[in-house]
Amino acid sequence: MTLLSFSPPWFYGYDVVLEIGFALTALIIAFFAFKIFHITDQRPVWLFGISFLLIAISYVIQSLLNLLIVTQTDTFVCNALKLPYISLFGTYGIFVHMLFMTAGLVLLTYMSFKIEKPRVLWVLLSVALIAIFSSVSPLHVFFLLSTTFLAIILWHFISNYRQTRQMATLLVVLAFAFLLFGSVHFLISVDHELYYAIGHVLELFAYMLILANLYVVLSHGKKT
Amino acid sequence: MARKRDRLEIIHDILLVIRDHRGVVRPTHILYKSNLSHPMLTEYLDELKTKGFLVESTDREGKRSYALTEKGYNYLRDYGVIRGFVDSYGLD
Repeated sequence: MTLLSFSPPWFYGYDVVLEIGFALTALIIAFFAFKIFHITDQRPVWLFGISFLLIAISYVIQSLLNLLIVTQTDTFVCNALKLPYISLFGTYGIFVHMLFMTAGLVLLTYMSFKIEKPRVLWVLLSVALIAIFSSVSPLHVFFLLSTTFLAIILWHFISNYRQTRQMATLLVVLAFAFLLFGSVHFLISVDHELYYAIGHVLELFAYMLILANLYVVLSHGKKT
Repeated sequence: MARKRDRLEIIHDILLVIRDHRGVVRPTHILYKSNLSHPMLTEYLDELKTKGFLVESTDREGKRSYALTEKGYNYLRDYGVIRGFVDSYGLD
């Protein structure tokens, strides 16, 4: 079970580049959140930074996995790690990717509830990870849970937009709508490889909108 | 009816009162300008002291005053960006 088996051959390599881009964008957002936390000491900002850092790490792992498979260096790494099968390498890698991505999304979902009960966070995370890792089809469950979490997060951002009615807030709503649609496409991609590429393109739009939001925040914030 | 201020905005208003008085001010003046109750202001001032946004000093007559630290000035300088980022993602 490797992630690349869902990718159409013409998309090999492009996914690696896109995932590096997503990781860098998520890292920029995490860095910015930590910078703001350093000034404000607001707990939600710190949690937000952690969630984007986890998402960035998950993209780095996904990108590295796909890069190793595209360049066919996975066999070499597999021998170095003394793994009996190449497929095991992909399986371990994808599980680590799912672990970090799920943790990031669970943290964002927990924050959207606006409650300060860490027990809720640990329950959400435990249930999600147990559901994924004990399933006979972990990827299906992972994409299904990701879609559910993204829907809850999107609902939070829509409510936020209805209160603020600002351009920056609207960009976040659109970005997470694209991430949600992308996640739906990844869910279908397990059976239809074209949707894997479409999912990446939708994620590209999402992260471009997240960067656009940051640009608006920085340019508008410095004027005030 | 006036909109309810959130935590970030109240902190901004308190720090602004201090900055507008050349960086040092007595608590009664902050109370007058910040539009907060005495217990609320005391709570905020304690928090701002703990987090290093301002420092408290006492003169020979035993009167307290507050001065902005570098972190406090940085907060005021970056408030527009902080506000925009926090509002964007509903992090308040």
